[in-house]
Amino acid sequence: MQWQVLRMEVMMKSRKLLWIVAGTAIILFALLNVFRKGEAETPRAAVAGSVAIDSAKCIASAAFMRANHMQVLYEWRNSSVRTGNRVHIASNGSKFEKSLNTCLGCHSNNRLFCFNCHSYANVKPKCWNCHLSPMETP
Amino acid sequence: MMNEERREFIKKTALGVLVGLGTVSGIVPAFSLEKTVLPLWDEKPVPGKIRWGMLIDTRKCKEGCQQCAAACHHAHNVPDFRNKKDEIKWIWQNPYQKVFPTASQQFVSKEIQDRSFLALCNHCVDSPCTKACPTEATFKRWDGIVAMDYHRCIGCRFCMAACPYGSRSFNWQDPRTAIHDPVTTYPTREQGVVEKCNFCSDRLVKGQQPACTEACPEQALTFGDLNDPRSDIRQLLETNETMQRKPELGTKPSVFYII
Ligand code: SF4
Ligand code: SF4
Repeated sequence: MQWQVLRMEVMMKSRKLLWIVAGTAIILFALLNVFRKGEAETPRAAVAGSVAIDSAKCIASAAFMRANHMQVLYEWRNSSVRTGNRVHIASNGSKFEKSLNTCLGCHSNNRLFCFNCHSYANVKPKCWNCHLSPMETP
Repeated sequence: MMNEERREFIKKTALGVLVGLGTVSGIVPAFSLEKTVLPLWDEKPVPGKIRWGMLIDTRKCKEGCQQCAAACHHAHNVPDFRNKKDEIKWIWQNPYQKVFPTASQQFVSKEIQDRSFLALCNHCVDSPCTKACPTEATFKRWDGIVAMDYHRCIGCRFCMAACPYGSRSFNWQDPRTAIHDPVTTYPTREQGVVEKCNFCSDRLVKGQQPACTEACPEQALTFGDLNDPRSDIRQLLETNETMQRKPELGTKPSVFYII
């Protein structure tokens, strides 16, 4: 008797479990699909209040900057702080001030510019210990 | 008139003709951050061509006036921890005996004893601080300014021990907690770095006078190029009796005093 009851209980429990697992799977699947769709429409994570940046005005292409901004900023900080050469000449001849604020002049429209990728890549640059971050710009 | 003076200053100081941000193709930030007005020349500055200096006419300095220090500390986000132990200072006042402890004029008048004297980094020509720094975080710039590269400072405080004038302060705590009226035009520092007067290198690149010089209501401070014989500061140095702090140490300070 007792065994039968026990078995019944176990069966009921496993059925419940099945429902839970199936439900979770369906929800997950749905969620994933939603995000995939979002990705297809806007390849970059859209942030509330952000405006598309005309990257033709950037010092280099977005792809180059994504891969090399650290070297560019390193060169900028050394040459502007130490040798006093504060002017960057881009490959098309246009001139920029070597400053984080040259970037933030446009990109602070996106308050999570910098932070999105850095948190994804788990890198913790120290820039914002002293400099204004896109979150702090007026 | 103000404009005339500024224009003359820019001309005299060989900063070249300044161009508006208009010529900077690309971005014009809509807000004022650590913005530079780019000089027309973009080649590297010539080392030794300029030597910035300051002359303080202490006779004009009004008792109790703190406007220079307030302007400087505000412009550079200098924290105020409101206690002596954590004090960070770029420019400050002290009595005669503390500013000129080794001066040959030892028994000065009561009036001078009661007066306070401005002290700041002397931007020494032979600066002991830059020789002590193991990382070259503090270094001699092309224009005579002893600059700090906060990116490189490891907080060893050798420079503080080396400076005979107490011009340097150490950030024992996060300075951002003690900046009561922050500005967006200059960065802050972080915990564990040394800071000091930068001779307003941030304002010079915009063609402006140092913040203290501009803020003084009595025009007690004169800033200019010591290498230019026609500069105001050179004229004043040639026509007045001036002194430096602890000249016997051979650091060759770029800050001069009229007592
Ligand atoms: S006053 Fe001190 S901190 Fe300034 S340059 Fe001279 S030694 Fe260095
Ligand atoms: S505290 Fe910083 S600036 Fe001073 S000597 Fe050490 S590394 Fe150099």
